[in-house]
Amino acid sequence: MAGFSTTVYNALFKRTSTFALTVAVSAFFFERTFELISESMFNSMNKGKLWKDIKHKNQLNVKWVNIW
Amino acid sequence: MHFCNYLECKIFIIPLLGSRGTTLTSRSFRPPYLRVVSWQRKIPNKSVKMLSIISKSTNLAPYLKASAQVAATQLKSAGPPALVEAEKIISQGAQVLTAYSWNQVLPKSPLSVTSSPTATSQVRYAHTDIQVPDFSKYRRNDVKDTHAIAKESTDSRQSFTYLVVGAGAVGAAYAAKAVVTQFVSSMSASADVLALAKIEIKLSDIPEGKNVTFKWRGKPLFIRHRTADEISTERSVDVSTLRDPQHDSDRAQKPEWLVLIGVCTHLGCVPIANSGDFGGYYCPCHGSHYDASGRIRKGPAPLNLEIPPYEFPDENLLVVG
Repeated sequence: MAGFSTTVYNALFKRTSTFALTVAVSAFFFERTFELISESMFNSMNKGKLWKDIKHKNQLNVKWVNIW
Repeated sequence: MHFCNYLECKIFIIPLLGSRGTTLTSRSFRPPYLRVVSWQRKIPNKSVKMLSIISKSTNLAPYLKASAQVAATQLKSAGPPALVEAEKIISQGAQVLTAYSWNQVLPKSPLSVTSSPTATSQVRYAHTDIQVPDFSKYRRNDVKDTHAIAKESTDSRQSFTYLVVGAGAVGAAYAAKAVVTQFVSSMSASADVLALAKIEIKLSDIPEGKNVTFKWRGKPLFIRHRTADEISTERSVDVSTLRDPQHDSDRAQKPEWLVLIGVCTHLGCVPIANSGDFGGYYCPCHGSHYDASGRIRKGPAPLNLEIPPYEFPDENLLVVG
């Protein structure tokens, strides 16, 4: 454990440049995961109320008309 | 006055009346309310006429000025205590300039305060009876033991600290990015406006060789289904002879479909399709001739007809915008 934390500290946290890089990279992955999770939570909470669930009821057959 | 040995007597009465009245020389006759006492030391017997007991003390009472003086012991001075104005000494302490003067200022013996000549009280330092609080709850686990070497756990302790800070920074970066994205996207067109700004055209409705006009963003939009003959003609045009040199392959993604904005580049009239000297478009306002690729060939217009952004999502569909 002590060896691992020493490695992590020296590789990532010791220098400000690597620390900032670590933050930026993990922010990228955090964003992906966080938004996937929150999106799936939203979809499961609103099941049956979303547009993709009611789309077939409201479908209109629109034909484009030459108005000129 | 033999009983009145001044060292033994506890009670005397100052002779206010002089020798007048009856003199009784017995203590037992003293009425209880005559407690007024004053005594003087070393008074020659003869010079002081002492009156112990007055038979009619009621008469005497107005004359007895009570000057009470209770003596603790007979050896102490009677009489009012003399107050001597003593010089007050307040220690200012040395001005702290050097280690020596600092040392002079430091209290090196127990502090004491004198409030009276007889009473002395000591000021006690608080540290002798206040318990030192237990801070072990606030200490890191690695250094809870006072004998632990802090240097050995520095990396793990600092790693944890930076991990917490870094996690906060990740959250802050995510929030900042969301805010900036929100702000920037608020400046672009909203989704409903973008939806209105597009037009979908079913290409199977347009026969070959025909030019169809739509309205797109308030402007006429020409969709021309070109024949193979027209395509080969436009492809073979020498670009160097053109006023606005553009090859046909630069103007049409698919050779058979030509998409143009039907506004003459001269003064903005709408050209007429399938007319003019070059088989393309002709502007009736000032006589600009465009070919079947929408390029200016003759007349006052300076530029070719404009090509809007468009794409073919599938074989049969054209989306402009």
